[in-house]
Amino acid sequence: MPTSSAERTGGGGSALATRGLVAGYGDVVVVHGVDLDVAEGRLVTVVGPNGAGKSTLLKAILGLSRVMDGHVVLDGDDVTGQPLELLARRGIGYVPQVDDVFETLRVSENLEMGGYLLDKSERAARVDEVLEIFPALKPKMRRYLGTMSGGERKMTAVARALMLAPRVLVLDEPTAGLSPALTRVVLEEQARALASHGKAVLLVEQKAHAALEISDWAYVLVRGAVAKSAPAREVLADPDMAEIFLGAAVRDGGVK
Amino acid sequence: MKLLIEAIGFGIATGAVIALGAVGFSVQFGISNVLNITYGSMMTLAAFVGYAFLQLNVNVWIVMAITSAVIGVASVVFNRILLEPLKRRGTSFVGIIIATVSAAIVLQYAIVVFVGATAHSFGEQSGRTLTVLDLVFTTSQVIIICTTVALMVGFHLLLTRTKIGRAMRATSTNRTVARACGIRTERIIDFTWLLSGAMCGAAGVALAITTVSFDFTLGSTFLIYMIAAAVLGGIGQPYGAMVGGLVVGIASQVAGAYWSPAYQDVIAFVILIIMLLVRPRGLFSAGAVTRRLANT
Repeated sequence: MPTSSAERTGGGGSALATRGLVAGYGDVVVVHGVDLDVAEGRLVTVVGPNGAGKSTLLKAILGLSRVMDGHVVLDGDDVTGQPLELLARRGIGYVPQVDDVFETLRVSENLEMGGYLLDKSERAARVDEVLEIFPALKPKMRRYLGTMSGGERKMTAVARALMLAPRVLVLDEPTAGLSPALTRVVLEEQARALASHGKAVLLVEQKAHAALEISDWAYVLVRGAVAKSAPAREVLADPDMAEIFLGAAVRDGGVK
Repeated sequence: MKLLIEAIGFGIATGAVIALGAVGFSVQFGISNVLNITYGSMMTLAAFVGYAFLQLNVNVWIVMAITSAVIGVASVVFNRILLEPLKRRGTSFVGIIIATVSAAIVLQYAIVVFVGATAHSFGEQSGRTLTVLDLVFTTSQVIIICTTVALMVGFHLLLTRTKIGRAMRATSTNRTVARACGIRTERIIDFTWLLSGAMCGAAGVALAITTVSFDFTLGSTFLIYMIAAAVLGGIGQPYGAMVGGLVVGIASQVAGAYWSPAYQDVIAFVILIIMLLVRPRGLFSAGAVTRRLANT
C-alpha cells in the first residue's frame, strides 16, 4: 500500500525528497520513478539486492549520474541535476563508499579541507564542534589517513562531511569492507548518532539487516523501483521481504 | 676548468627554460591526472605565436607575456574540448595519453601548414653579456632565469598560501571528495590548465629566444628534457621539476661540452631511464611534498 509523505517523514517536512526520479547512465534507465523522503532527525535507509539501482539513485540525487525525469527537492527547492559542489554549499554532506578521504593528508587536514568554504576562525571553531561529536578522533588528529584502520577512516570521512554543518547527510555503504563488529559501531555510533543530532540521514546499505535495525524508515529497491516503503522495523519483521528482497544481500556477507 | 664553468653557466640558463616547461607539465599531470604529450607542440605553437607578435615590433618580453596568456587560454580550450569529454566517457589513462600524442602530431603539422617547415629565428635577442661568479650569461639568459625563479616563487606561494592553492591540492588528491567539500573542481581544473599552459607558453618563447633558429619540431624535441626533469623531481611535484630542470640542463650541457653536443639528448634519456629504474617516484617523494603543502 502506498504511504504518504507525512508518514514517511514521521510527520515533519522533508529535508530531502525525490519525486518520480528516473535516472541512469547514457541511454540505460536504472532507476524508475522513485519517490523518497528524508526528514531532519530521521535515518532513512535504502536497501535491496545487488544491481537494484541503490548507488545510481544516490548518484542521481547528488548530480553524479544522469537524471532523465523527475525531481530532487532540497528544503523545498528543486535541485535536480545540480552538481555535487553546489549541493554541498546548499547543505548536503556526502560520504562516498570508497575513496572517501584525502588519503595523503592528516586527519586534521581532512577536516580543514572539509571546511574549505569557511573562513579560518570559523573553520577552527567547527573542527572543535565536530570533535565533540567524534571524540575518538581527538588523539588521532596528527595521523595520516593512509595509516589508519577502516573504521577510523570512515569516522574521519563522516567528520569531514560534517564540517560544513550539513542538514542532510548521504552515506553510501559506510560499512563496506568493515568487520561485523565495526559495522555495528559505524551504524550505531555514526549513522544513528547523526540522526539523533538532528541531521536528515540517507543511508544506502548492502548489509540490510544491520542497517534496518537502526533505521526509522526503509525503502526496498528492486530493479530500480520502490518495492516497499515502510518503517524499518516493519520491513525487518516481514518474512516475505526478508526472503525475497534481502535474502541475497544477507547471504552475500550481510550482518544478522 | 673554464670549459666546465662555461658549461655550467649555459646549463643553468638551459635548465631555467627546462624548469619553466617542466613545472607546467608536472603540475598538469599532478592536478588533472593527464600526461599531456601535446605540451611539446603547444610550446612550438607558443614560439610561432611569439614570432608573429615579434614581426609587429613588439618588445620580446612583452611578446613572452602575451604568448603565455594565449597558450594558457588555448590549453584550457584543449582540455575542455578534447580531454574532459574523453574522461567523462571513461577513457582510460593510457587512452588519454594516446589522444594527446595524436593531438601533438596534428598540432605540429597544422603549424607546418600555416608557417611551413623552414627554420625561423627571433633574431639577436641576447643583449650584453654579464659575468656572475665566473659564469657568463647574456642579458636575455639572466631575464629568463629571473622570470623562471619569479614564477617558481609565485607558484610556490600560490600553492601553499592561498585558498585556491589548497583547492588545487584537494582536487588532485580526491576530486569527488573535493566536490563534496564544496570546491568547484571544474574551475580549479580550468585554472590549472590556464596556469600550466601559461608556463608552457613562456617556456616556448624562452626556448625560441635562446635558440639560434627553430622549426615545427622545436617543442617535441624539447619535450624529452621536460619529461626527464619532471620524472627526476617526481612527476606531479612542481618543486621537483624545478630541481630536475636544473640538473638535466647542467648535465646535458656538461656532456655536450666534454664529449659532443650530440650527447646532449642522450644524457636526458639516460637520466630518465636511470631514474625510472632506481627511483621511479623521483627524488622528491609524493608524500614529502604533499605533507609540506598540506601543512600550510
